[in-house]
Amino acid sequence: MSETLVEHAIPKARPAAAPFVACVLAWLVPGLGHVYLGRKGRGAVFFVVVLAMFVLGIGSGGAASLIEEKQPLTFLATFDNVAVGPIDLVGRYLTYSTIVYALPGSEGDPRRAELLDKLRARVRSVTYEYGNTFLLTAGLMNILLILDAFDIAKGRKD
Amino acid sequence: MIRSHLLNMVVFSALVAVFFAFLTQTGTRDRLRVILILGGSMVVLSLVLAYVMYPFPLR
Repeated sequence: MSETLVEHAIPKARPAAAPFVACVLAWLVPGLGHVYLGRKGRGAVFFVVVLAMFVLGIGSGGAASLIEEKQPLTFLATFDNVAVGPIDLVGRYLTYSTIVYALPGSEGDPRRAELLDKLRARVRSVTYEYGNTFLLTAGLMNILLILDAFDIAKGRKD
Repeated sequence: MIRSHLLNMVVFSALVAVFFAFLTQTGTRDRLRVILILGGSMVVLSLVLAYVMYPFPLR
């Protein structure tokens, strides 16, 4: 196969767009990585969709996850919440009235009881499961957006 | 916020369908096709599954 054919088969990377910058921007604001890479329309749509997911999640009684050492899945859920970007801070504040990422390990810790009470207040909401699904999906979507921005910046995708 | 199960499902399906349409397709026609197929199948399959599950639990 000639070099010309190989060059056509693999899209050229855009040297002006740094993949790391695109990924960081995509994490900071959903869709901003795509705007940085020149995909303004797509970036705007992604911003609206992810933000709508997040707002519906919090509005429906969803709760930001807290890491609990005895429950390994809480690490994944918390990572997923954080992946949506700094707006996760808003979700945490609205859920717990403070910015917190982990439950205190000691069962007798009053801070743990206070956080669990706030979490239970959310769980009692009729739409809690819907809210959590929306919240977790917003995080998963932004992970895909970060990876997509990386691929575009590397020239692997248009 | 939204208390209706059906409306929650439809909104969720619509948002996911739009997201994947814009993530995987470039043309307007292709995006519309993905939105209709993906969003529609999510809603229809969920309703079918709900009816299949209706007799359970048996007692």
